Amino acid sequence: MSGAASSPTPLRAAALARVPALRAAHPGAFRRLGPGQRLALALLLGGTLLLGLGIWRLEIAPARLLAGLGDLAHFVTLMLPPDPGSWAQFRGILAALAETLAIAFLGTLLAAVIALPLGLLAARNATLHALVRFAARRLLDGIRGIDALIWALIWVSVVGLGPFAGVLAIMTSDIGTFGKLFSEAIEAADRRPQEGVVAAGGSGVARLRYGVLPQVLPVMAGQVLYLFESNTRSSTIIGIVGAGGIGLTLAEMIRTLEWQSVSCIVLLILLMVAAIDQLSSRLRRRLAGG
Amino acid sequence: MSHGGARPQREAEARLAPLAGAWRSHRRQRRRRALLAAGLVLALLWLAAWVAQVDPRLIWSKGGNVFGYFDRLLTLEGGAEAGARVWHDPAEWFWGWRRWLRLLGDTLLMAYLGTLFGALGGLLGGLLAAGNIGPGRALRWTVTRGLEVCRTVPDIVFALVFVIAFGLGPLPGVLALTIHTLGALGKQVTELVENVDMRPVEGVVATGAAWPQMAGFAVVPQVLPGFLGYALLRFEINVRSAAVLGFVGAGGIGQDLIEAIRKFYYNDVAALLVLIILTVVLIDAVTSRLRFRLLEGHAA
Amino acid sequence: MLELQGLTRRFGAATAVDAVDLRVPEGQMLGIIGRSGAGKSTLLRMINRLTEPSAGRILHHGRDVTALRGAALRGWRTGCAMIFQQFNLVPRLDVLTNVLLGRLNHLPAWRSLSGAWPEADRAMALSALEQLDIAGLAGQRAGSLSGGQQQRVAIARALVQEPAIILADEPVASLDPRNAMLVMDALADINRRYGIPVLVNIHSLDLARSHCERLVGLAAGRLVFDGPPEALTEEAARRLYGLEAAEAAAAPPQRVPVAA
Ligand SMILES: Nc1ncnc2c1ncn2[C@@H]1O[C@H](COP(=O)(O)OP(=O)(O)OP(=O)(O)O)[C@@H](O)[C@H]1O
Ligand SMILES: [Mg+2]
Repeated sequence: MSGAASSPTPLRAAALARVPALRAAHPGAFRRLGPGQRLALALLLGGTLLLGLGIWRLEIAPARLLAGLGDLAHFVTLMLPPDPGSWAQFRGILAALAETLAIAFLGTLLAAVIALPLGLLAARNATLHALVRFAARRLLDGIRGIDALIWALIWVSVVGLGPFAGVLAIMTSDIGTFGKLFSEAIEAADRRPQEGVVAAGGSGVARLRYGVLPQVLPVMAGQVLYLFESNTRSSTIIGIVGAGGIGLTLAEMIRTLEWQSVSCIVLLILLMVAAIDQLSSRLRRRLAGG
Repeated sequence: MSHGGARPQREAEARLAPLAGAWRSHRRQRRRRALLAAGLVLALLWLAAWVAQVDPRLIWSKGGNVFGYFDRLLTLEGGAEAGARVWHDPAEWFWGWRRWLRLLGDTLLMAYLGTLFGALGGLLGGLLAAGNIGPGRALRWTVTRGLEVCRTVPDIVFALVFVIAFGLGPLPGVLALTIHTLGALGKQVTELVENVDMRPVEGVVATGAAWPQMAGFAVVPQVLPGFLGYALLRFEINVRSAAVLGFVGAGGIGQDLIEAIRKFYYNDVAALLVLIILTVVLIDAVTSRLRFRLLEGHAA
Repeated sequence: MLELQGLTRRFGAATAVDAVDLRVPEGQMLGIIGRSGAGKSTLLRMINRLTEPSAGRILHHGRDVTALRGAALRGWRTGCAMIFQQFNLVPRLDVLTNVLLGRLNHLPAWRSLSGAWPEADRAMALSALEQLDIAGLAGQRAGSLSGGQQQRVAIARALVQEPAIILADEPVASLDPRNAMLVMDALADINRRYGIPVLVNIHSLDLARSHCERLVGLAAGRLVFDGPPEALTEEAARRLYGLEAAEAAAAPPQRVPVAA
């Protein structure tokens, strides 16, 4: 474009004339692959092999993919416009949404209450003994390894179908997370106030009560709010396995192909989640502000 | 002597009185606010319990079931040592290990594929949605909204729909994980891109490079370590999710787990849970080490 | 010949560059001076079209490049290479790749993005680096180099663009005196050897006098001085740097024709 590109510029001509000499002087610069690129290539190759294995094992056939995409596009057209069906059904959906929120709230709060002592036991500077700390940590890790949906299934078979199983599911899956977060917050607590309490003759319990808790309580409250926020999402789906909330209705509508109701429910869920996000992040900001 | 000491004390008290009063009123105010908050939480608790029909008495009546259930999970139901704890006869306990390991492998592959496709899409989406380098306002708005939907709708809801469109099996599971990963990583990449150093970007644009080359050479090198870290974290999350997608028929170990729980095959439930927990903990350990190395390499 | 006609850029109410008329003949080494905020960077960035002009025209060999878009705009940018005060290299890429970035617009995207740079391009990049005495650093990460070295990498990147014009926005402002001298020497050498016109924004009057054959002075966005280095007396310089905005608008451009 520049006019210079059409006829070889002196720089280009000179460089082309000296290619063999340049090659001899800088062999590394002419290698297709530098050492870093070779590592990247090896990773790429490994990743691609694994991809191939996955495509083969999981039977991901292009034909099936295409046919499914066609169906999916059709479903999407059927979803518009969102429509709950009837007024009674709409009220049912709203009630299920309220139940979802209630499950999230109860589950989160119960989990926080139960996780507090566990978190203390799992924190280096508050535990009774290193062994207790180790046991508490492994217990929390194990609980966290199980998804809320699995807990929901288990609780359904223990206490039966319904929101109570959902509350227990949210509670158990959160105990692990809260325990870990709490213990980290307690370990990160500033040492100076604690030393102050001990220096004034306070006992170990007094150190925790006056040296640690005042510092970490706001942090913990923030974490509780944050998890409540994420639990409103989780509690929308535990109904899929019968543990109460909107998930049951949603799964039913999907299975009976009532696409307009499906899109209506999803829309309402998105609105509810967004509202809770707003509320909780505002509260958390207030907490952080003092 | 005595009245000589009393006077300064009385004076001190007189001087301190307003301070003590202020402190008391401050404390009262704080206490009132704390009480108010506690009252609010209690009221909400009561409301929530009413809405969710949680009857505290239920806890007492069902409390026994809980221990009974976990007791049965860990008691052998068949074999030579029936009635003993499961670990006395691991061969009987893990009788289906071949099938379970295969399903576990499939679960990991689902998580891998979902993370891989989702990460590639998320990288592209994040580049397109970033305010500082995005190629156009309309495109940016569309991509941002799309990413939002992808990340807010839970993956299992996508799986439910995909199972109907694509049929039962791991394919809908992989797609559901892909969509959710795309949304979550897309948001994170957007934030990474919006914080890059713009000088290299200008340097590359000034050479006459087009958008893809600018993104590839000036932006991607800057966001790569952060992006890989997020992708690894997402893989960890996806392994957990993939384990339950089978609940709705979207492949992986979840299909056996839901069957075992529904049909009360107690020992199988325990075995599958142990396998899942071990896998998740292992993946956690590996990815967190990798992420640490990545951060270190970036700092060096 | 590069020609600016009434080139103007406004940022809100402020006018950063105010109706600048300028002709730069082939092969000229032109220094642009003026105090901070005078509009020097904005002027150069408009020529490369990193900043859009508010009014006026930019002509190159009679072709209007003010309103180019898409591929034509990218071609123009390749043709007028830009060198920045902060080097603007990609720190995490190695030096050779940074220089090769100057070839991006000469290649299909897949070739550059997959790292399959043609041999001729690699040769050009290396010979540019050799010319600037830093070929030995080709494999190092650009971010690990000193400022002077990085600026020479940036000049090499500009060179391999095979530009018709080089724009340098305060290329030596972040360098120590020795490195500043090295970099200015390199620019002057390129200007002489290849006959490429160089427009350089520069704060150091000494370097401006020693390396440029013509100087133009900006004050408050207006061109207020134009002449050979000898014409920039102490008095003229003091005037240029002391002018307030209102005075600059009123002052007639002081033009001393350069023997071309
Ligand atoms: N992106 C921008 N937005 C708003 N104002 C700008 C912008 N860029 C430059 N300006 C303004 O335009 C005027 C000229 O700026 P410019 O950077 O061109 O000056 P300069 O001569 O290069 O100064 P320096 O020697 O400090 O680099 C200044 O008043 C500056 O504040
Ligand atoms: Mg400037």
